[in-house]
Order: sequence, then structure tokens, then C-alpha cells
Amino acid sequence: MPKITITIDNRKLSVENGKTILEAARENDINIPALCYHDKVSHNTSCFVCVVKDTKTGQFMPSCAAIATDGMIIESESEEVQSMRQMALNLLLSEHTGDCEAPCTIACPAHAQVEEYVRAGRNKELLKALQIIKQRIPLPMSIGRVCPRFCEKDCRRNVKDQPVAINDFKRLAADMHYDTYMEDLPELNGKKVGIVGAGPGGLAIAYYLRLNGIASALYDKMPQAGGMLRYGIPEYRLPKQILDREIAHFDKMGGITILCNRELGKNLNIEELKNKYDAVAIAIGSWKPTSMRAEGEELAAGGIQWLEKIALNNWSGENPWKTIVIGGGNTAMDCVRTSVRLGSPEVYCFYRRTEEEMPAEQIEIDEAREEGVIFEFLTAPVKLTEKNGKKIFTCIKMKLGEPDASGRRRPLPIEGTEFDAEADTVIAAIGQKTAAPKGLILNRWGDIEVDSDNYQMADNIFSAGDCVSGPATVVEAVAGGRRAAMGIISYFNNEKYKESYIINVSRGHWQSLRPDDLIYLRDIRKSDRQKMHFIPIEERKKTFKEVTNSFTVEEIATEGERCYECSCTAKNDCRLKDFAEMYNAHPETIKGEKLRYDFDTRHPAIILDRNKCIKCGICVKVCKEVVNLSLIGFKDRGFGTHIDTAFGEVLPTSCKECGECIEACPVGALDWKEKS
Amino acid sequence: MIKRIKIGIGSCGLAAGAAEVFDFFKENVRDIDIVGVGCIGHCYAEPIVEVETDNGSIYYHSAKPNQAYLDKVLNMEDDFRLSFRPERSDRELPKVTKLAGKIDPISIDEYIQHGGYEAFQKALKMKPADVVEEVKISGLRGRGGGGFPTGLKWSYLLAQQSGEKVLICNADEGDPGAFMDRSLMESVPHQVLEGMLIAVRATGATQIFIYCRAEYPLAIKHLKIAINQVLDKKLNRINGQEIDIHIKEGAGAFVCGEETAMIHSLEGNRGTPRFRPPYPTDSGFKGYPTLINNVETYANIPIIINEGGEEFASLGTENSKGTKLFALAGDLKYPGLVEVPMGITLSEVVYEIGGAEKGSVKAVQIGGPSGGCIPADQFDVKIDYDSLESLGAIMGSGGLIFIGNNRCMVETARYFLDFTARESCGKCTFCRVGTKRMLEYLENITHGKGQPGDIDFLEDLGNKIIKGSLCGLGQTAPNPVLSTIRYYKNEYQKHVVEKQCEARVCNALVDLYLDQEKCIECGLCIKNCPVNAISDDFVIDNEICTRCNSCIEVCPTDAIGRTARGDASA
Ligand SMILES: Cc1cc2nc3c(=O)[nH]c(=O)nc-3n(C[C@H](O)[C@H](O)[C@H](O)COP(=O)(O)O)c2cc1C
Ligand code: SF4
Ligand code: SF4
Ligand code: SF4
Repeated sequence: MPKITITIDNRKLSVENGKTILEAARENDINIPALCYHDKVSHNTSCFVCVVKDTKTGQFMPSCAAIATDGMIIESESEEVQSMRQMALNLLLSEHTGDCEAPCTIACPAHAQVEEYVRAGRNKELLKALQIIKQRIPLPMSIGRVCPRFCEKDCRRNVKDQPVAINDFKRLAADMHYDTYMEDLPELNGKKVGIVGAGPGGLAIAYYLRLNGIASALYDKMPQAGGMLRYGIPEYRLPKQILDREIAHFDKMGGITILCNRELGKNLNIEELKNKYDAVAIAIGSWKPTSMRAEGEELAAGGIQWLEKIALNNWSGENPWKTIVIGGGNTAMDCVRTSVRLGSPEVYCFYRRTEEEMPAEQIEIDEAREEGVIFEFLTAPVKLTEKNGKKIFTCIKMKLGEPDASGRRRPLPIEGTEFDAEADTVIAAIGQKTAAPKGLILNRWGDIEVDSDNYQMADNIFSAGDCVSGPATVVEAVAGGRRAAMGIISYFNNEKYKESYIINVSRGHWQSLRPDDLIYLRDIRKSDRQKMHFIPIEERKKTFKEVTNSFTVEEIATEGERCYECSCTAKNDCRLKDFAEMYNAHPETIKGEKLRYDFDTRHPAIILDRNKCIKCGICVKVCKEVVNLSLIGFKDRGFGTHIDTAFGEVLPTSCKECGECIEACPVGALDWKEKS
Repeated sequence: MIKRIKIGIGSCGLAAGAAEVFDFFKENVRDIDIVGVGCIGHCYAEPIVEVETDNGSIYYHSAKPNQAYLDKVLNMEDDFRLSFRPERSDRELPKVTKLAGKIDPISIDEYIQHGGYEAFQKALKMKPADVVEEVKISGLRGRGGGGFPTGLKWSYLLAQQSGEKVLICNADEGDPGAFMDRSLMESVPHQVLEGMLIAVRATGATQIFIYCRAEYPLAIKHLKIAINQVLDKKLNRINGQEIDIHIKEGAGAFVCGEETAMIHSLEGNRGTPRFRPPYPTDSGFKGYPTLINNVETYANIPIIINEGGEEFASLGTENSKGTKLFALAGDLKYPGLVEVPMGITLSEVVYEIGGAEKGSVKAVQIGGPSGGCIPADQFDVKIDYDSLESLGAIMGSGGLIFIGNNRCMVETARYFLDFTARESCGKCTFCRVGTKRMLEYLENITHGKGQPGDIDFLEDLGNKIIKGSLCGLGQTAPNPVLSTIRYYKNEYQKHVVEKQCEARVCNALVDLYLDQEKCIECGLCIKNCPVNAISDDFVIDNEICTRCNSCIEVCPTDAIGRTARGDASA
């Protein structure tokens, strides 16, 4: 065969005459992206992602169809060509509907693979579930109990009835296998990191460092590790014995040392740590109470400090008698419910807005109410005094005005409505701030300022957790901890860490969807969420025993049946997604109408979801040219062009044996229903 | 002495009622021949009656199927006489259309009497290569829109050593508003066939397909009759073979006019274009080398063979030779079909031939819906392939749409793009999705929802659609938008920034007002408003009004008008 010479991106190639530019490039390991190209069928030339530029003619052409000719000089990755490809991908994304990832996974701050571990639970494979969970959640024992369940709020099952009880999968998987499961760990590589703070953030940093062969020493100011998990979250939500089991694992991993009673500024100093370790991570949390801005507020206890005191006393203490807790967050709920358990006969929660605006989890509010807590809404503190050993708490009634910066309606005092309330104990649980030691770089909220990609503060100091984000949740702290660990690992490799660019096409939030807007792989019969197992209410009020018990394996398997399996069947092998990420395309860049097509799951093994189809034409050609049938074809014109089966028939079951078109579909439009 | 009476019964005449006139004349005139003929291009005056006498013809316009009119014609009265304005007759040059409307389209004998098939006979005596050479010398370029040199294309087919070669006549004429090809097929079908037969002689093609849109029943009828006459006279015996001539009726998709899509459609597949090369002359219908030319291109061939390539090339400009047919439509006084020499200025066509008043036309859209807009201040441009392209327009197939001063250019661009976006075959990402997105951005702008950056985005996307589309449809679809942005950016900006449509066309940016001074309180507007937006004391509620304009149309005193949004209440 005579050879010709062509140049692609300054590389001279000698190729056989008659090859397309794409073939010539691929033979020489030059990767030109292509969506509608398939080596078994004649070219489609529809996607134009494989576009290249012929510098001699100045023309752009689809490399899958253009034949290489002698002396051609081709640009494939010049800025101009990349911008063409990006536009082509943006256009394709603009008409593409689906869910690259399940909404629960997107909602999870740590992006745990929810759908996957729910599926494992459904199959009663709880060890597998735990393995999936621990990729993103190193503290499944605790998070499985205390997480506010971001995932469940976005769960598509809400469209039909109630969300899947996702967090309970974690809890059971951890209950069953946490103590015995050990990750495959690499040898320690000699690097060591000093971590200040052994709460969720610090533990997560240590965990991900260890998974990458890096040792660490965790320093904590408290007598025991766990941070807020131990000293902020009451025993009845997270028994400390369980926390101990969770932390024991870190010890077992080898290479992680925990040193307690060491506090920055007292018996610990950052400069020393910087010198002693290859890197330092700060994860000291956010513990300082914020002010009530009311006269006499020193007469009230700070919420977190009050809980800490009880925690240090092993969840026992004096009866606080009549108690008023100010605040509407989760800490306020922890304080009222702890007061109940300490024997307080009368517990009030005063909040300046209404129940609707309360930042606390609804379930916490409900459980508090069940336990007898009385709520006074639209009530704000004015001043606190003491008289005859009793606290006199002057408050004022509020009304809601215009929405403020947070979007919530601003509470305004109603003149002349002051009243006095008498109490034995007043607790102000209105929030915390970070108390950062000197020498750290802070942002305007007083939290530690880090690079948002790699969580680096300066030189070899990194930081994560509440002290970076401000008071937040355990799952957010571990998510940040992982990023900081990755930042440190990259730093050791002289690189700067950046999370890889991931696109996510979404059908939308469930609140904007109706049941028939969804695509179901599974049956969507109504089925109620498994009921939680509460211990008797009397026991709840009198003891610090854990309020709920874990589900059983059977219950979890049944609950797993409720999951719609929202993510795309092609989530791991979608070429549109791959190329979009490669060329920085984004589903939101170009907005416009998306057409809605029926999906077809009549076939037992195959799903046809044309809302994802990119009209590449591969399936049409495969069916015609490879299989010698013509079961699929194009219909209509213009933007409404779409594929259809002949006469809209179900794909014949004989397709199951063939499946050529399904393997060939570059996206998830034609796919096997079965997910791995 | 009246020799015979001719009535234009082309589609344009029929639309104006020529069939009834024809029937009436036929029934009521005994001794004079009444002949139905094609179109002479003066569509504004249809139905047209031509009275042929020994000393020339007299034309009558607006013919009616009644005795009074017939009498006028028979008495050759002055009433209803159609006088040809010198502004037009001095400038037009009917060569291809010389016989159109003059002869009976379905009489091969009459065609032959007028010199028909002489060129064909001449070509039969020439060597094929010499015929091709003559066409090359003529400089004729394809009239179907692409403008590819016809002789060169023929030489490719001639060079093919293949037992089978296919010749296709592209009669799909998909440009809305264009009817050059239709008119030729209806009026002089034999001339088009003669061109094809000469092409067969020159290139060695072995069969002919005429791909004609099904919406042209009269053209198909005339072609079928003409083909039978050709077969009867055995004119299809060429190069020692009998050439089959097939007519295929297209289903009306615009993109099927694109040559590779047309071939797919002829093969029985979905009409979608494919990447070229290979060009049809290398691999076309069922893989055979295939020549595709347009109706008007073929209709030029007999002229070239008759008068010689050099004579033909003496007319026109450096790279554009001969004459071109244009279909004039839109905001002008004399819509119709006209044949002019290449190189004539656009201003002559617009003001003289089209009769548009100076200052009344803002721009013309040339080259069909995917052509470009040329603004009035550029009207001294010469009509030739290169000059038009340098202005961001294209010759296209000959559609010329006049855009009056009262039009909004953003809306105009949207209107044209709406057509091409719908007609995209749906294959290429840029064309299928890109044109749709451009359309949506334009819709947003005309609805007053334009965002800063939209105009830049339209330009960026438009240029990419041109570069990243397989066929001419996608490659030209953004032209109306890009050319209007080029010449009327301020109009776009007004819409986007100030939410104003100065032409008061875009409904979302317009209010209606009723001038109480002019109002005579006749109540017609109130009666005609479909949504009851006008109160009993003659005030228009713009919240209710749908801007349907019914009231404006019925108001006898022009008391109602359109004004900027928000101005009506002020
Ligand atoms: C979208 C599209 C539509 C077309 N429609 C027509 C048409 O209706 N008639 C025509 O003659 N050519 C049409 N063409 C041009 C043909 O592809 C081809 O260039 C032409 O038939 C060649 O003949 P010519 O060289 O004689 O012009 C079209 C091209 C495109 C891209
Ligand atoms: S239904 Fe399943 S996959 Fe979908 S959001 Fe809920 S848990 Fe996730
Ligand atoms: S369904 Fe067919 S046309 Fe659509 S993306 Fe998949 S292979 Fe391409
Ligand atoms: S440019 Fe448009 S009409 Fe032409 S092949 Fe591509 S999608 Fe079809």
C-alpha cells in the first residue's frame, strides 16, 4: 500500500492512503474525540465532535469522514478546534435530559455513592455497602446516626411518597461490619502530618492520608478524641460507646496516633508542628458561643459549653429544673432534650421566628415535642436578671417582616409586648464561632481562610472542618477533610490539588417533577418508608439511651426496594459526559427547550430513553449494516429529529441476544436496564 | 388581425384566476385560437392575456372571465392594457425565458418552430468533449445555489469510465418565495429537457432522473407530456443508447434539494446529506458517477450550444456570466420573475425593475432564507457571485425578497432562521441544535428578554454553525442573522438594552394607542377586537390587547397606532 504523509498537531505521520484522518490519528495514538463514530459501520458525521481544521484550506471537517491526503496539515487540539468541540458538546448537552448521577449522591456533601450502597443493602450485601460508604464517609457509625440527611431531602422518592431511609443503610452496614472490616492499606511512605483537632474533620484528614500511605498524629485539647461528636452531640443520639468503636478503627489502621489534652496556644504550637511534620492540618472546629446581644446574657449558659459539661460528666448531672433554651438550631434541640433527660419538669424553647424558619431538623423538633418540650415562637430575649435564685428572663414578641439576606423573613419586635419569664436555667444556643488561635489567616466571618481547591492556608498548613466552613455538619466536615487530605498528598507530589471537573445533567429537583416526569427502571408501586424503632417514650425522657434502634437486614432490604435507581445506566461509560468534561462543556451554558419523549421499558432487559439520545445514528446503522435488520430509524426533522423503532414496536426480545446497538450507543439512550 | 390569444396559465396566473378566464375565453371565442401559455414574469398583473397580431402583441392585465372583458380584448381597446414600463424592459434580458409565456409549453412542434432542439442536434454532431469545452468556455455556473462551474462538473463525469452514469435534474426548488424553476418547467419544459439531453450527449450519462417537488403539479404535468413527446420523436437516442427519463416527486423537504440528500432520497432512503468527498460525480446514485444540475442551469445549455460559449461569456462580469432569473417578492410594487444580465446593479433591480420607491426599502434578502441581507446603502453592488458574497450574502438560486422600511430586522432574521431551523435534516449537532438555539435567543430578544452578551453569543454560535455543518443548509442558515447583526447591530442593541423595537413590529415591545382627536367614534374597532380590549370610551387596555392589529386595520381614520411599550399610557 502506498503511504502518504500528513501532519496532525505538528506530528508528521506516515499512513496508508485512503484512511480517514481519525483512523490515521488513532493508529498513531493521537486521540481525537468522536461520538457518532463507530468502527463497524459507515460514518454518520453527525456529532461534529471529531472536527479538525485543515490549515491549508482553513476548513473545518469531521475527521471521521475526511480522507487524509498527502501533505495535509491538520490541527486537532488548537484553541479554535477545542472551542468548536466545546460548542458542539454544549449544544448536545443543551438538549440532553437525564441524571448523570442520582440526586441523593449530588446532595450528599461528601458525594457518597448512595444509589450504589442502597442497592447493596437491598441485596443484603452490607459489607459491600460499607465499602462503598467508606470511600466517602470514614465515620459511618456516627454519620449513620447524626446526619441531617441531605440526601433524603433531595430523594426522588419524595415525588411519590417519602424518601428512601438512606442514612439507615449506613447505620446498619456500620453496625454489622465496621469493627471487622479493614481497608486495603498501602505501606506507610515515611511522610507524616500533624493534625490539630481529632473531631470529624481531623479524623477524616487522617483517614484519607492513611489510605494513601501517610502517617499522622492527631492532637486534641479535650481528654478524648471525637470533638463535637463526643462533647456536642448528646448520648441519646450518638452513644459514646459507639463513638469509641468508630475511633478504635483509626488506631487499628496503624500510623495514626491520637494525643489528647493538647491545646494550641497552651501546650501546643503551630511553628513547632510545622517543623516537626511534613505538613500541618488545622481542624479545630467552631466552639465559641455567639452573643445573644441581651443585657445580662452572662447569666445564661452557652449551649455547646453546657452540653460539654454534661458530656464530661458522662451524660449525667444536676436537674436544671425549669429550663428555657434560646435558639432554633440543632444545638438548641440537643439542649432541650438533654434537659428533659436530666429531670427538668418544664422545658421551653424560645425562638424569634416561627417553626417554619427553624434551622433544626424537623425530626428533632418533633421528637423534642414528643418528649414534652414547649415551643414559644416569635419570642426574642431582651434582658436577663436574677432574683431570689431565679432567673428573670425578659422577652419581647416578634412579627415577621421582609425577607433578609438569608431569604428568611426578618423578625421585628412588636412594641409594648415585653414580658417576663421565670426559670432556673437559661441556655443560649444561638450559634458558635470559630476561635482561631493567632497566626492563622481568617476570612471576614472569623473562619480560617483556605484555597477552595486544595484547602491550603499557607505553605505546609492546611485546614478543614467547621473552623473553615463555620459551624456545619459532620458530613460536611469529613467532605472537607478529604479535600484537605488530597491537597496535602498533591502538595507532597509538588502539585496543586483540584477536584476533577465533573458534569452533572439532571432532570431537576423532585419538587419540580411529577411522577410521570421520571424515568423508572423499577416498579414504582406506593410503599411506605420503614418505620423507625423508637424506644418507649418514658425511657426516652428518663435515660440517655439511644432513641432509636437500627433496622434489621430484612427491613433494609425491603427499604432498598423503594429506591428508583435514579442515575443513568451509562453513568460509568457515557462518552458525552467524558468529552464534556474533557472540553469543559457545561449543561447550563446554552439554555433552551428540551423535548420530551416517552421512554420505553417494555423490553425485559433494555431501556430506550430518547431524552438522552444525541442523534448520533449509530444504533440505526448498526441495526441496518451489522445486524441486517432495520428495526430502528430516524423520524421527523430539525430539532424534533428522534429515533424510533419501526411502528413504535417494542424492541424484539431477540435483541437481547444481539445487543449490538446497545453496546454501541455512546450515551445511555439505549442501554441495559441492569446496573452493576 | 388577431392571430391567436394566449392566456398565462402558469401557477401564478392560476392563482389569480386564469383558469376561469381561459375556460370562459375558450367557450365564447369561436374563430381564434386560445392557447394556454406559461409565465412572462409580470406576476403583479395576472391573469394576463396576450393578443397576438401581425404587427406584434398587445397585453391585457387583470383578466376577468366575463363578456365585457372579453369584448375589450377582442376589440383591442385601451382599457386594461398592460404597458411594459421601460424601467423594466430596458433592463431585463430574456434569454433563458425568451420563449416563456410566448409559446405553448406542451407543444414540441411549436418549440421546434422557435428553434428548439437545434442545439441538441448540433451537439449530437459535436464530440462530447467539445460540448463540455463549449460549456466550460461559457463560464456558466450552477444556478441551483452552489455556483459551481458547470463545464468543469461535466468534465468530471465525462472522465469517468463507468458503464452506468446518472444524470439528475434538480427541480426541488425549496426556497420559499422562489419560483424560477417552476416557471421554466411550466413554460418551457422542452428547453429544460433539451439541456439535459445535451448533457447526456456530453457526459455519457445513461439515465435521467428529474427530482421535482410534488407541490408543482403543473410543472410535473408539463414535463411528463414533454417527455412523452421526446420519446415519441426518439430524441432520447443518444450515444447509441435509449436513455430512460424518470420523474421522481419529492416529498417537500427543503434539504432534499441538496445533492447528496437528493441521491439518498432517490435511492429510497431518508433524505439526509452526507459528507463530500466523494462528490456525486465520483460516487452518486447507487454508487454510479452522477451529474446533478439545476433546472435553470440546464435551460441555459441550449443557448450556449446555439450561440457558442464565447458569445455567452461576453455577457456578465469576470466570474459570473450570462443572465440570471430572479423571483422578486416582498415589499415592492411589481413582484414577479425577471431575467437580468449578470453584473446589473442591485439598485436597478430594486428601484427600476421592482418599482420600489427610493427610501421605501431597507434591505433585500438575497439567496433565499439562508442568504443574507444587503442594506439599501449597498445597493450599488453588482449582482455577481463574488460581490454578493463579499457583502455576506449569496447569489443562491435567485430569490430576492424586498424588506420594507417598516420591518424589524431582528424579527426578519428570526423569520428566515425559523424556516431553515425547521428544515434541518437533524443530522449535524450544530445545525440541528445550533439553529434552534439561535432561534430561541432571537425569540428572547424580540420578546424583550434579551440579555447582554446575547448578540455576541449569536455571532459566535452562528459562525460555528457555518464551520461545523455538513451541507449548505447548516453552512448558510446563520447568514440572515449574521448579516443583519453586521448591518443593523444598533437595532439588535435597542431590543436588548432598551427593550425597544423602533419599527414597532415586535409585539412584546409595543403598545397600541388610540388617538382621541382622530377618532370619529364609529365603534368599528370595538366591534372587531377579538379580546374586548377597547372600552366604550375608546381607550385600549394594553394588558388585554394581544396586538393582533384588527382595530388598526378597520379604523377608517387611522386613529389607532403602535407605539413603544409603556408610551401609550404616558
Ligand atoms: C439545503 C440545500 C437545498 C438545496 N436546494 C436546491 C434546490 O432546491 N434546487 C437546486 O437546484 N439546488 C439546490 N441545492 C444545491 C444542490 O445541492 C446542488 O448544488 C445543485 O443541484 C447543483 O446544480 P447546479 O450546479 O446546476 O446549481 C441545494 C443545496 C442545499 C445545501
Ligand atoms: S430514589 Fe434512590 S437513587 Fe433516587 S434519589 Fe432516592 S435514594 Fe437516590
Ligand atoms: S440511541 Fe442511537 S442515535 Fe441515540 S445516542 Fe444512542 S446510538 Fe446514538
Ligand atoms: S447541515 Fe443541517 S441539513 Fe445539512 S446535513 Fe447537517 S443537519 Fe442536515
